[in-house]
Amino acid sequence: MSQRMKRIMAAALAGTVALSAGACKTAEPEQEEASQKVTEADLKTAAEDGDAKEVTIKIAWWGGQTRHEQTQQVLDLYSELHPNVKFVASPSGWDGYFEKLSTQTASGAMPDIVQMDYLYLTTYAKNNSVADLQEFIDNGTIDVSGIDEKLLNTGQIDDKMTGLVLSTSMLSFGYNPDVLAEAGVEEPTADWTWSDFIEMSKKVHEATGKYGPAMDTALDTNGFNYWVRQHGQSLFSEDNKSLGYTDDKICEDYFTMWNSLMEEGVLPNPDEYAQIATLGQEAGPVVTGDAAMIMEWNNYASKLSSVNDKIKMVTPPMSDDSDAKGLWMKPGMFFSVAETSQVKQEAAEFINWFINSKEANDIMMAERGTPVSSEIRDYMISSGKLGEQQKAMFEGVDEAAAICGDTPAPDPVGMSEINEAFKNAANSVYYGQATAEDAAAAFREEANSILERNNK
Amino acid sequence: MLTPWLVGFILMWMIPMFISIYYSLTDFNLLNTPSFVGIDNYIRAFTKDKSFYQSLKVTFIYVLVLVPLRLAFALFVAMLLNKKHKGLGLYRTLYYVPSIIGGSIAVSVVWKQIFGNQGVIMSLLNAVGISQTTSLLGNTTTSLGVIILMGVWQFGSSMLIFLSALKQIPYSLYESAQVDGARPAKMFTKITLPMLTPTIFFNLILQIINGFRVFTESYIITDGGPLDSTLSYVLYLYRRAFNYFDMGYSCALAWILVAIVGIFTIVLFKTQGSWVHYEAGRE
Repeated sequence: MSQRMKRIMAAALAGTVALSAGACKTAEPEQEEASQKVTEADLKTAAEDGDAKEVTIKIAWWGGQTRHEQTQQVLDLYSELHPNVKFVASPSGWDGYFEKLSTQTASGAMPDIVQMDYLYLTTYAKNNSVADLQEFIDNGTIDVSGIDEKLLNTGQIDDKMTGLVLSTSMLSFGYNPDVLAEAGVEEPTADWTWSDFIEMSKKVHEATGKYGPAMDTALDTNGFNYWVRQHGQSLFSEDNKSLGYTDDKICEDYFTMWNSLMEEGVLPNPDEYAQIATLGQEAGPVVTGDAAMIMEWNNYASKLSSVNDKIKMVTPPMSDDSDAKGLWMKPGMFFSVAETSQVKQEAAEFINWFINSKEANDIMMAERGTPVSSEIRDYMISSGKLGEQQKAMFEGVDEAAAICGDTPAPDPVGMSEINEAFKNAANSVYYGQATAEDAAAAFREEANSILERNNK
Repeated sequence: MLTPWLVGFILMWMIPMFISIYYSLTDFNLLNTPSFVGIDNYIRAFTKDKSFYQSLKVTFIYVLVLVPLRLAFALFVAMLLNKKHKGLGLYRTLYYVPSIIGGSIAVSVVWKQIFGNQGVIMSLLNAVGISQTTSLLGNTTTSLGVIILMGVWQFGSSMLIFLSALKQIPYSLYESAQVDGARPAKMFTKITLPMLTPTIFFNLILQIINGFRVFTESYIITDGGPLDSTLSYVLYLYRRAFNYFDMGYSCALAWILVAIVGIFTIVLFKTQGSWVHYEAGRE
């Protein structure tokens, strides 16, 4: 039996166990509430006595090996500083993380602190699985003074602070200066427009035979969201029950732009890109000098600085005929606390230390993305420990803040399905099976039915 | 002695099965309390869900093309191996190996490399002058073919069953046919095939059930793409459950699949009388 099947079986089993546990849970809500009250009371007495109680915090996150090692070091350091706090860590890759988390949550065994993604935050919030952190901000446990307010509010759903944002990222374009120089094209500046971008891409391809841009333009809706916002509209309506933009021409134009670049061989088609993707980002065409540009997150250059330290970043192209602010600060990831947690106060204290302390950030070195606290950013820039790319990235955040509009509301429930629908609509154009006009209409129909079903 | 098995059966099979019937009638995303919606999930699958039909289409094509090919190939190899020559044991093992490893992640990854854009197949095609811009896996019309090919390659278990059945055919039948001057082709159609029909029937049922369960290949090699051209039913069900957390609906999908496989099996059993030949007295 394959690993994957085993995992499904395991999940199914966990689900079954979860169900029986869940059944018990709903049967005795009063008791549990009562026991929780007792614990809180205990905590207060403990605090008054000045005698710290032994607590164990369960914490889960996804990431790569570097993040696992760094986070473990941070946890060890915290335990050293607070000998009464012990951690039980469950590191994991992105694959399988949310499968596991949802089964744990269903069984009432959600870890106390979980790393949360924007994709799923709404789902967990709507089901009241995550605690409201506002009370800990109000009582001063978590200091949010260094965090941009728009960014902080991305964690707010239905007037509850359901997740505290840890890092921020922005849509950006990375480029390889050597390839541009080879083609005799000037490097882009922050005021470049989409038509500049297209012109540059074509020039690179004509002069060198290499790809202009190289990325999967149908991977998710982030790039499209930027495009829609530049047209002064929003991707989703306020009640999340339908798409927010009214004119399908916006979507049609977006597909047409990429499709015509593909037809000319300037941009890899989905099939070519699928092959490129298997090489991994470290061997991607912009890194190796086989393409000039890539639409990515702003940590792209710093992430790849060990394999190519020449890559530079620029904000994405401006609209040719509108001043609408398309860019926004995207929350990178969150820490949420389980509603069922018995150690919410301690968890909140740890989150505060994680975000605001120099010693924790010294270890993590912005591996999770640009830190949200402006004080920490200043500290890290002046500490001299940052590489050139990281420094540029940190400074870029403050610069870009001027051209950022409001952060869009958290992703609606069903976001991963919307992404899939978008991918299919875009690819049907790229594979020549539908016109851009039909694909735009099909995306609207599909997206609206997904939104309506999921956001009752 | 039976108790551990019985406990396991009830805990791991019976209870989950009944629970999943219940879930198929609810709106459930693992986090909320399931709310009863009657047969809405089933209605949604048949009336509103394009991907459901796409995945059905893909799976039916897969099964209908794969099963005859795999059985024919298995029988062919079994007949080759049913003779006496040197290293027979080694050959039998070699041909069986793909069935053991074929369903694994590792082989799927290898397959992806072989048929990908820069893989062996494309390089060979280029070398003989057939240059193409899209690879076999990146093309919506050929991608399913690659997946089917990988399925055919895993013919080992059917082959073993055929091989043992071939050994059961009394040699005297062939001898008397030879005396009467029958050619090998005649002997195959008049002796071998009829004698094998019970085995073919058995293999057919087994392989159809297996075919409907295809998952690993389309998950690893193509992830259902390009453009859902390899979106197998079970992969779609998995996505519904673990990517979209649409548990109630995916339970409904699972039961629809059970019904489809059930219908296939029943229909096949009904046709049995007209083509499956049992030796007199064994019926």
